[in-house]
Amino acid sequence: MFALNRPSVLIAVAAALCLPQGAASAQVVSRLEAGAVTSSTPGFVPSSALSLTPDLRYEGQNVKLSARGSAWLDGNSWDFADARLSGSVTTPVRHHLSAQLMANASRAYYDRINQNQQVAAEARVHLVFSQAGGMWLETGVARPWRVAVVSAVDVAGAGAWTQVGPATLTGTYTNFAFTRIASASDSTSSLQTCVATTDNSRCLRQSHFSDVQGSVHFEKGPVELDAQSGYRFGDATDVTPDSRRWAAANAVVWLTSDVAMVVGAGRQPSNPARGLPARNYANLGMMFAAWPAMTAGAVPIEARASAISKFAVAAAGPSLERVQVHIAGVQSVEVMGDFTDWQPVEMVQRGRDLWEALLPIADGVHQINVRVDGGKWLPPPGTPTMRDGFNGEVGMLVVHE
Amino acid sequence: MKRLAGRRGLVALIALAAAAPSLFAQGPDPLAKLDTAGRALVRSLVDSARAEGLPSEPVLSKAQEGVAKHAPNPAIARAVRTVFLSLRQARNTLGPKASRDELTAAAAALQAGIPASALADLRASGHGKSITVPLVVLADLVTRGVPRDMASHTILQLWMGGAGDADLLGLPKAVEQDIVSGAAPGDALVNRARTIPIRLPPAKVPE
Repeated sequence: MFALNRPSVLIAVAAALCLPQGAASAQVVSRLEAGAVTSSTPGFVPSSALSLTPDLRYEGQNVKLSARGSAWLDGNSWDFADARLSGSVTTPVRHHLSAQLMANASRAYYDRINQNQQVAAEARVHLVFSQAGGMWLETGVARPWRVAVVSAVDVAGAGAWTQVGPATLTGTYTNFAFTRIASASDSTSSLQTCVATTDNSRCLRQSHFSDVQGSVHFEKGPVELDAQSGYRFGDATDVTPDSRRWAAANAVVWLTSDVAMVVGAGRQPSNPARGLPARNYANLGMMFAAWPAMTAGAVPIEARASAISKFAVAAAGPSLERVQVHIAGVQSVEVMGDFTDWQPVEMVQRGRDLWEALLPIADGVHQINVRVDGGKWLPPPGTPTMRDGFNGEVGMLVVHE
Repeated sequence: MKRLAGRRGLVALIALAAAAPSLFAQGPDPLAKLDTAGRALVRSLVDSARAEGLPSEPVLSKAQEGVAKHAPNPAIARAVRTVFLSLRQARNTLGPKASRDELTAAAAALQAGIPASALADLRASGHGKSITVPLVVLADLVTRGVPRDMASHTILQLWMGGAGDADLLGLPKAVEQDIVSGAAPGDALVNRARTIPIRLPPAKVPE
């Protein structure tokens, strides 16, 4: 029987306050990845398995939630492998600043011997320069269990990102500090410094290391690419030689709007805070995505057109223009303007998020609107805008020879 | 009598057969969804625009837009009337040599609240260049909340400083980005305007 008491009421109120005030752009996306994964860990026999990974995400205006889990078929039995539950709350940007709270519970699974669970919480302050760049400072704490780490792991760091064309470049610096149980002497039998000893005379040592990582996310048409590379700073007692450097790459190729091929490979450094060794891995599989169309009344549909990430018009012949719109996860995109006598024209989908129409548009100034999934007509992003006289706005297109 | 009636009937039938292709060839009237008064208003304004040498397509287009957006008839009538009056005021301000695009853009700027004097200043400093793009950008900036005087003054300064169409067309998106990031619209315009280089033509070499 659930009893109302002060802590539970406070939690409920806090949860309600964290709910997005405007769920205008909320969407739920589900994905299922099925394929093969192989990994090799030093000192262990390489393992391969078939994997099934469901992924569920909720992305609201200020709140994001995600749940992801993997099951591996190794031989004749299924093993519960990697899993992650995470959530974040972000404040709106004011004076270029925004705050973000994140929490996650995760399970890292390499094989039946090398696995670990952890909960973590983190806070970030973002400095947003523009929609094409920003930086952040972060601090957090993680608590792994069933490992030699006896304290929480303190995390502190900073990062910066910038968008260059279709690519997003990110650089991060993260420092990890924790106390762990260690041998009183190292492999050469030299005595090590202990900050304390346990009841059974085991050594407690302060450990810390810092990771510097650069990553690139690139999207063009049906292809998404991710690549990371990093370097770990720290002394030899905390950083093994096989974990100084790492790199990984992953590619998603959308064959249709809902089906993609996924391939990736790389090297993960060890995670001494979680007792996990370094490993090489590779994966190949198919991903099936579900982008449920929102029904009228559930979410304001006019918000969908505002989710257009890119709009472009390019010459395609004499008085013929190719109009392109980039937006994913929608069923239809229409365009209309004075050049169509304000008759809606359905755009054709080419690839996962590219919609296109060839239209006769003469040189000069034109007015244009687009709409998504039969919602409200909005000016395309990036076009000069004016009020249309009907409580809406219209984009102004200047077409030159 | 019978022969006369038969002949008349035949003539009518032939006339109908001749007219049928053209009748069927006519597409649906784009103003069919307007009420009788609305259609009459639009047609009279289109005729007036033609008679005054103004572009009539924007007038008809605004009515078509209203129909497509399911606007109520009074709103369509009001919008169409506004477009016509704006075009007329644009012609009076920019002069008879203004191009169709300039008139359309000027009408948009006037509808956004830009005073006619600002349009005249742009025309006077245009050195014969088309002022279509500055007018389009002006209308956008005011729509985004930039104070009218600040928008007019800044665009005029940029125009006089030799800013090109590409420079000006990049302003709306850049200003929007800054507004999204928390800047006041006026501050956003001032900051972005500073990044546009001055491109005055080189001074003539003195003899």
